[in-house]
Parts: sequence; structure tokens; C-alpha cells
Amino acid sequence: MEDLFTSAVLVGIFWATLRIATPLLLAALGELVCESSGILNLSLEGTMTMGAFAGFYVANETGSILAGLVAAGVGGAFLSLIMALMTVTAKVNQVVAGLALNILGLGLAFFWYRSIYEAEGSIDIPTVETMQAPFEFFPIPWLTILAFVMVPVVWVFLYRTKYGLELRSVGHNPEACDMRGVGIISRQYVAVVFGGVMAGLAGSFLSLGSTGLFFPDIISGRGWIALAIVIFGNWRATWVLVGSLLFGFLEATQLALQASDVDLPYQLLLALPFVLTIVALVFNRSRSNVPLSLTIPYHRGER
Amino acid sequence: MTDQAPSELQTPDGGGRRDPLSMLFQPGAWRIEKRLIVRPWHEILALIAALAAAVAIIAGLVLFIGKSPADSFAALYNGAFGTRESTLETLVQATPLILTGLAAAIAFRAGVWNIGGEGQFFAGVMGTWFVYDLWGGLPAPLLFVLMFIFAAIAGAAWASVASGLLVRYGTNEILTTVMLNFVILYILSYLLAGPWQSPDTFYYQTVRMADTTYLPRFVTGSRLHWGFAIALIAALVVYWLIRRTTLGYEIRGIGSNVVASRYKGIRVGTVTLATMAISGALAGIAGAGELLGLHHRVQLDIAEGIGFTGIIIALVARLHPLGVIVAAILFGALVNGSTAMQYETGIPKALVFVIEGTTLALVLIAAMVSRYRIRKAG
Amino acid sequence: MTETILAVDRVTKRFPGVVANDAVSVDIRRGEIHCLLGENGAGKTTLADILYGVYRPDEGSVTFRGETLELHTPRDAIAAGIGMVHQHFELVPPMSVVENVVIGTSASQWLDLSEVKDRLNEFFHNYDVEIDPDAEVGRLSVGEQQWVEIFKTLYFGVEVLILDEPTAVLTPQGVEELFRILRRMRDEGLTIILITHKLKEVMELSDRVTVLRLGKVVGTVDTADVEMRDLAQMMVGREVLFQFDKERSRPGEVVLEVDGIHLASVTGRGSLKGLSLTVHAGEVVGLAGVSGNGQNALFDALVGVEKPSAGAIRIGGVDIAEMSANRIGQLGMASVPADRIAQGLLMDFKVKENLVLGRHRSNPFSRAGVLNRGAIDGFAAESIEGFDIRTPSASQLTRTLSGGNLQKVIMARELSGEPRLLVAHQPTRGLDISASEYVRRRLLEERERGSAVLLMSEDLDEIFQLSDRIAVIYDGRIVSETTPEEADLQSLGLSMAGADTVEAGSAA
Repeated sequence: MEDLFTSAVLVGIFWATLRIATPLLLAALGELVCESSGILNLSLEGTMTMGAFAGFYVANETGSILAGLVAAGVGGAFLSLIMALMTVTAKVNQVVAGLALNILGLGLAFFWYRSIYEAEGSIDIPTVETMQAPFEFFPIPWLTILAFVMVPVVWVFLYRTKYGLELRSVGHNPEACDMRGVGIISRQYVAVVFGGVMAGLAGSFLSLGSTGLFFPDIISGRGWIALAIVIFGNWRATWVLVGSLLFGFLEATQLALQASDVDLPYQLLLALPFVLTIVALVFNRSRSNVPLSLTIPYHRGER
Repeated sequence: MTDQAPSELQTPDGGGRRDPLSMLFQPGAWRIEKRLIVRPWHEILALIAALAAAVAIIAGLVLFIGKSPADSFAALYNGAFGTRESTLETLVQATPLILTGLAAAIAFRAGVWNIGGEGQFFAGVMGTWFVYDLWGGLPAPLLFVLMFIFAAIAGAAWASVASGLLVRYGTNEILTTVMLNFVILYILSYLLAGPWQSPDTFYYQTVRMADTTYLPRFVTGSRLHWGFAIALIAALVVYWLIRRTTLGYEIRGIGSNVVASRYKGIRVGTVTLATMAISGALAGIAGAGELLGLHHRVQLDIAEGIGFTGIIIALVARLHPLGVIVAAILFGALVNGSTAMQYETGIPKALVFVIEGTTLALVLIAAMVSRYRIRKAG
Repeated sequence: MTETILAVDRVTKRFPGVVANDAVSVDIRRGEIHCLLGENGAGKTTLADILYGVYRPDEGSVTFRGETLELHTPRDAIAAGIGMVHQHFELVPPMSVVENVVIGTSASQWLDLSEVKDRLNEFFHNYDVEIDPDAEVGRLSVGEQQWVEIFKTLYFGVEVLILDEPTAVLTPQGVEELFRILRRMRDEGLTIILITHKLKEVMELSDRVTVLRLGKVVGTVDTADVEMRDLAQMMVGREVLFQFDKERSRPGEVVLEVDGIHLASVTGRGSLKGLSLTVHAGEVVGLAGVSGNGQNALFDALVGVEKPSAGAIRIGGVDIAEMSANRIGQLGMASVPADRIAQGLLMDFKVKENLVLGRHRSNPFSRAGVLNRGAIDGFAAESIEGFDIRTPSASQLTRTLSGGNLQKVIMARELSGEPRLLVAHQPTRGLDISASEYVRRRLLEERERGSAVLLMSEDLDEIFQLSDRIAVIYDGRIVSETTPEEADLQSLGLSMAGADTVEAGSAA
């Protein structure tokens, strides 16, 4: 047990926390903006899988991680554009639309992956080079740095720009905004697609940033955790950061425990973040910042 | 509250005057209005259009990877309904989907978003194994009854974790049920790696169950087992429950308007708990059926997304219990046919997920669009 | 002074099944206060919404300052110089007053609120309105929110201000303040269009008035040239009965006894703070008050969906503290909620299913948990006949019914059990005149039958018409009690505004 508390292990946990928090933070920040406009996008899991695959595929084809990242963003944007079409334009129930797109995202990624890499009968799964850390003394990939930079960016956008103010207003009272000539549809599309791009990048971090691989189960619940983090963070950018770090820390600790000779059933530790999310949901009921029109479709002329 | 007359003639969920959909069109030239009455043929037409669009998109996708859509669809169809055996196998695949579809449908009817069918399915599998592990020597009829009862109880109990938190603390059930899916998967993986693991293997699985616990089959040469009959009966029971009983009335009531239900004395919490218990029990029974009818040993991949697919089936069936049977057979055919398709044409089975996602998305859009009509502005 | 600033020329607007405006023509003069007067459903708000760009007319045109007005959105209207304050405020509650003003403006993308704040403060100061520009709008009173709406509109420098029933949310004193400021704004050159159905307001405030009935203009007159009675006749199309003929009540034993109940509401506004009240068999007690003073909490407590933290409620001497809403219903309490659609009906259900809501668990509508469809069908047919519910069939989906018929479904459901206590909250809100009359008659019939009736209404005329006793609710308490014969509007208004809290607690 004591070798768990050596400084090397603790430092390792620290860096691992930042790495593990990266996809959660990216996806949760995107979802924060999306939900601020009144649209609940439940398809993060599928969108992240799309991003992970698109990023992996393009990086593998081109040899460029940057191209992979762009592809991941485009992949996420594609799926979220369908989400926006369904929920903003066609006014389909947001929960249902999210579930449908989850399956679509997962399906498209699996399908492409299998038809490209397994069709020729080869089970030879390629790997790509993973993202480099920009500084030697700072062993984290630059996408992680970007994720953390996005926290103040999103905060300034939501709270210090008129567009952000109007976007949040749309999430609270779209009718009032409509009367004032604020474009509801365009803002919701922007918010949903921004969320999709962020989720795509988040997914690509898992394929390009840490493993260099793609496999169908690569996201394994992180999309749902990101959703939980937004609620845990009470729709505040700063608390979303705290939530992401907390979940990252737990997972990192769990991994360190697995690596050590401490005899704990690691499956139960893997379940811990999910249990903790439920606990957080129970204890964070005030919901003072929840967008008042979240999940309620806006029909013009209805009063 | 003045000048209510125009809006009150309309449905309360839409004013039908100038819908944002009209943004798609030139302002002033065309107008989109909400229909006062949606006639069945509007919906059917929209549904057909959606399915046609889905087929077109899938065909495009197949073409894109360099395969023939016609051959693929033929392989898919033949795999699903081509022979008597394949048709029966389609029903085998449909069996658990009917049950998880019903599980989702009844919960959604109450406005409770149970996304935890997958986890409750696992709970059912575990409940069944628990009985077998403990009382495996009991005479077969009693053992069957016990196994199904425990599967139902386990599924109901796992669902009740989410509904209990919902009723007690108002915790969002969408998120809790999803989280609980992961939690139970890890619990099962722990059990399969330890206490329940078969001693003669490194795989995460139990020993094979005794022949006496196999659900009887209808015809020799097919895997179609009694679970199918159980599923059909369950659909009829759920239909009766929803339409003809006071509980069903209250389930629909809280799904329609929870505030008014509460004002008129419906115990919303109690009904929510009952609904989720029934929902979880149905998913649990699906787990027992799969274990006893097909797999005969507990493995981690026993669910194969059956719980999630049940959600889609419920939605495609518009939450109608008898419609669930039809939708489940359709999706069973997809699953069954896709295996043959992968074998014959090399198209990955994962296409099924794409088909499911595309179909559901388009059906949902069609359902909304059929409520509108386009008119030339006067 | 007679220059026409806004001319409506034969404007027609149709909605499915209804002609809301039928060839309406109105001239609005610069610098006047012009009332649009009419019953609910006369087409006043539709007309205003056309001027504000919410709807486009199907036929006809609008001319503003000599030019034809082409509006696609309210933003166009504001840009042209026409602003409107709706009854439903277009505010974002979690945001501050300043932020609410900035939304939709052409201010720069980098938010700098100080300039906006200064101008707002100038406005507020100029008109003696005390509002903190940094206050969260959701925490302001309804009257203050209305001021925010008005100044938000003025901030854009509009020339024409349309107000839709602005006095509905105000105390008589608040109305006076509003009118004082509106007159001043008019004198400073603003053109004001005021939508109302209250004759007194028209007489007191307006320069000219246009009366609408069933979507058509009945006429436009100078207010100075007409009497209230003339306007009433134009508005309703017949002589108006200002009083129902009703017999003096013969109150029986105490049916409802509310004894010093406290109940905190979630928002903090409209909590009950020691409210006491009694209602006897065979009498109507009218509860007057400005909305938001605890009416909703009282209704919830009586129905049993919320439980008071202190005090007691007794129905026929039985304490209902531990009872579920269902049990309270079985004691013989019926209730008509304020919001039919949100609180009273299951819109996805068939009409016949709604008619048994609340009694679906009792004989004969169900036995051993199974619905008895024969009994439900029979009862539904009876109710539809007895209450004149206009529906193609008992199996019709409730959502397709009109507002008046929805209320009849609720009345049929609630009254068929011959309740000993009826609590009606805003029972005629949003109904047309004939439906309102029907509902009021039914309430009086209940009184004749010997039922105790508690009528909670913001419509003082309704309170005067129907009540045997009037109690005034203010800030969660009954602050005064009187009878229609003794009451005068002035003192009632003062009570509603909380001016005389001396009597608090001694009432009832």
C-alpha cells in the first residue's frame, strides 16, 4: 500500500488526471454551450465515437494528427448538424433524437471501421502515432492544453459577449428573444454544432491523444459522464472544470491502484465514477442555473 | 388573457401560425401551418417516405464502400425471411426485443425515460443465475418459475434504484439509468472474474447450465423457444394493463400531464415506482429468456445492445404494445439478416446500427412533419 | 393634433376556424391615447400583434407615417418605431434588468453595460420609478417587471407604444401611477395604444376609443362624447346586466375552516403567512386580491398537493393535514384550477376519460383495479348532455376542444359528485362572455344547492356579482372582509394593495 504514496506515483496520478480529464472537459464544455441554448444533446457518446474514428482514419491516411483533429471536428459537426435539424427545425423530442443519433454515431463509426480495416480479411489493426507533448517538462499533449484554454474562452463567450448573453437568453426564454429579433434558430444551430465539434475533438483525443488506436468501445461511457459533469457543474464553466478534474482524478487513482499490488477488485473501481455521478446528481438538486427552456421546443406564435 | 379564441381552437402544443420551419422557405411565399387534425394517412404517408429515405441512404452507404445495394438487401432479406429456418430465427432474435421494447414503451408512456433496459436485462440474467446457482437441483417446473420470478424481481429492483432516486430526490432518471447500466456491467464483470467464474476457463463466463434448465423449443431444428410465447403474452398483458386498468390509466395520466394528475389525486410517486418496476421486470424477463433459451451460460456479451434496441423499437412502435411486436420482428429480421449479409457480401454487421439510427431519426422527423402542411400564402 | 400617424386599412386576419380580424380599419393620431376596447376574443390583441409584426395580415394594409408598413418580425416594428408590451412579459427572468434591455440591440459584441445602465437610470429617475438596473428580473414584482418592459421598449426610441391589458397585474394604486405616467408620456409626444376590456380605464385615460366585437370594428369615438353605458353596449352588442339576480344567501354550517396556515412557496413569493378563512354551506365567499399574494399556495393547500407547515384546514370539521389529494376529494371537495390546461386536464386523453379523472378508482368507474368502460361511457354521455359540452363524441381527444368546452369538462367532472365544497380559482379566465356567464350561473346553482363555494378571482366585477362575502388576500393573509353591499372600490383597492394591514388576522 505504501508504494502507492511515493512521489513518483502521485506525480503520475497528477499528469494522468489532466490527460483523463481532457476528453471529459472538451465534451462537457461543448455540451454546456449547447444546453445553454436550450438543447439537450444526449448523443455525446455517439458523437465522440464518430470523432474518435474520423480522427483516427484521417490521421492514419494522411499521417497528420492535425488533419485527424480537423476530421474529428467535422465528424462531430456532421452528427450534431443532424441533431440540430431534428430538434431545432423539426422539433423532435430532444431525448429521443439524442438516443437515435447515439446509435447512428456508434453505428457509422463501427461500420466504417469494420468495412475499411476488417473487410480484407486482415485483423491487422493499424495504429497511429499519438500526439506529442509540446514541452519536455510538461508531459501532456497539446490538445489537453487546448481543453484547459477553452474554459476561459467559453466563459468569456457565454458571460462577456452579447452573442453569449443572447444564446443563454434563448435557452431561458426563446419567445422573448424572438420578439426582440434575436435569431433563435441560428443561435441554437451554432450552439449544437459547437457542442458537436467539441465532442468530436474529445473523441479524437482518445484515439490520437492516448492510445493511437481505434476500437468500437473506445469511448466506453465517457460521453455520458461528460453529460453528468455539466449537471454536476450546475451549468457553470468553472464548475465543469472542477467536475472534469474530479472525474479524471478518480479514474487516474483507480488506474494507479490497478498497477500497484494492492488487491482491490478493479472492476468495482471502474464502476466508481458512475456511482459517483449518481451521488452527485442526488446532491446537486438545486439546479439554480438550469436553462429554463432546456428540452422544450420553441414554436413561434404559441402563447 | 385576452383574445384567446384563435389559439384555443388549436392544439395547445402549437400555435400553427408562423412556424420556424417556414424559415426554410421564402418569406411570404409559402407558409407552414400546423394541422388541426392529423389523419392516419398523413402519418402513414410520412412513415413510408421516411422508410424510403432510410433505404436510399443505406443504399448510398453500401454503394460508397463498393458493394451492390441490391445484392446486400437481397442477402439481408433472405437471411431474415428467405427460408422457414431463417424466418424462425428472426423470431428468435425478436423475442428479447419484444420484451425490452415493452419495457421501454410502458415507462415512456408514463413519461419516465428509462434508458436502463440494458442494465435491467443484465439484472434479470443475474437473478436467473442466482436461483440456478442456489437451488439448481429443484424440479424443473418449480425451478423455471423461480428463475423467471427472480429475473423479474432483479430487473425491477435495478430499475427501482433509478425510480427511487427520481421520486425521492428528483434525480434525472435518464442519467441515472444510463449510469446504472455501466455499474451493473462492472459488477457482473467482477462476479464473472471471480465468484461465478467457471473453473475450467480463463474467459469471463460461468459454467454451462444443466440441460434441464433449457427452455423447450417449438420445432426441432430451430432455436425458437418458449420465450417467444412469453414475450407475446407479455405484450397482450401490457396492452390490457395500459388500456383497461386503473393503473394503466394513471400511467398514461402522469405521462400526459403530471401536474393535473397530482391535482386530481393520482399518487405520482407511487405510479412512477410501479411503472419502473414493471418496466425493469420486463427487461429482466428478457434476460432470463435469453439465458435459458439460447446462451445457457452467463457471459458479458449476452445483452448485445438488446436493451438499447428496445428503446428504438418502442419509439418506432409509437409506444403501442402490439406495435412493439411488429417493430421487434422487423428489428429481429435486421439483426438476423445482417449476419447472413456479412457472410455473403462482406458488409459489416454494424450496418444494422446505422439502419436503426437512420430509420429512427427519419421516422421521428416524419412524425413531426406530418403534423404540418404547406400552403401558398394568400 | 389630428395628424394620423398609424392607419389600419381593412385588415383581415384568419386563423384556422376563426376570422380574428375582419376588414378592420382604425386611424391612430399622433400623441393620443387610443384604447382598443372589446371582450375576450374580439380581436384586439391580434390587431396589435399585426401592428407589432407578430402576424402578417391576410388582407389589407397598415400605413405608418404615410408609408406602407411591411413587417416580418417585431424587430422590424421596433426599428420602424412601434413597440409593444404583451400581457405575457417577454423577459428573461434569471437575467438582470440591464441584460434584458441589451438582448437584441445592436450594441457591440463585447458587453459594456455601464452606458445602458446610465440611460436606464435616467429613465427611471425621470419618471419616479424605483428599479435597480442590476436586479434580477425574476425577483422583481410583476408591476416592476411591467415597468422594465415599458422602458425596454422606450429605450429603442419608439413613437408608438402598445400596451396589452397593462392593469391586469396592478393594484388600483399601481393603476393610478401607471396612468399618471402614461399621460405624461403622451404629453411629451408619445402615441399610446391601450388594449383593455375595462370600461372604467377607457373613460379615465383615453382620448379616443375603438370598439371591436367578434373581429369587426363597431366604431371609433371620442371618449369625451360617450357614456360608459354606450361603450358597454357597443362592446357586447346588447344591454349589459351588471348584476345577476340572486337570492340572499342562507348560510348553513361551517364547511371549510382554514385556521392560520403557513405555507412557503418555492419562489418565496406568494407564500401563506397565517391565513384564516371560513366558508359556510350555501354561500359564496369571494377572495379578492392581486395575483401573487398567496392564491396559488392556498389553492394547493386546499386541494392537498401541498401541506401547510403550520395551522390547520378542516373540511366539515375533519382535519385534512394528513390526507392525500384523493382522500380530500372523497370528503366532498371539488376544485376548478386556475390553469385548465396545465392543472386540470389530460389533453392527450379522451373527453370521457377526463370526465372521470380523480374518480377513476372508485365505484362504478372501476372495480378491482379494472376500468368499467360501460359505466364511464354512460357517465360521459350524461355529462356531455347535462353540461352542454360541444364535442363530436365522448371519445374525442380533449386537446381538440375549445377553451369554453374545456372548462365545461372540468365543471362537469367536479360538480357531478355534488360536492359540499367547491374551490374555484379564476374559473372564467380567458373565456368568452357566454361561457363565462354559464360558469358563473353554475357556481350560483351550487350555492343554491347548499354547497360552500370559495371563489378566487382577480376580476373584481366577478367577485361583486357572485359573492355573499368578500375577503381580501394580501401577502399571504386575509387583510379585510366585507360584503358586496358594504364594499366600496376605493377601500377594497387599498386593502388589495396592503394599505390597511391593521385588520390583519382579525378577519374571518
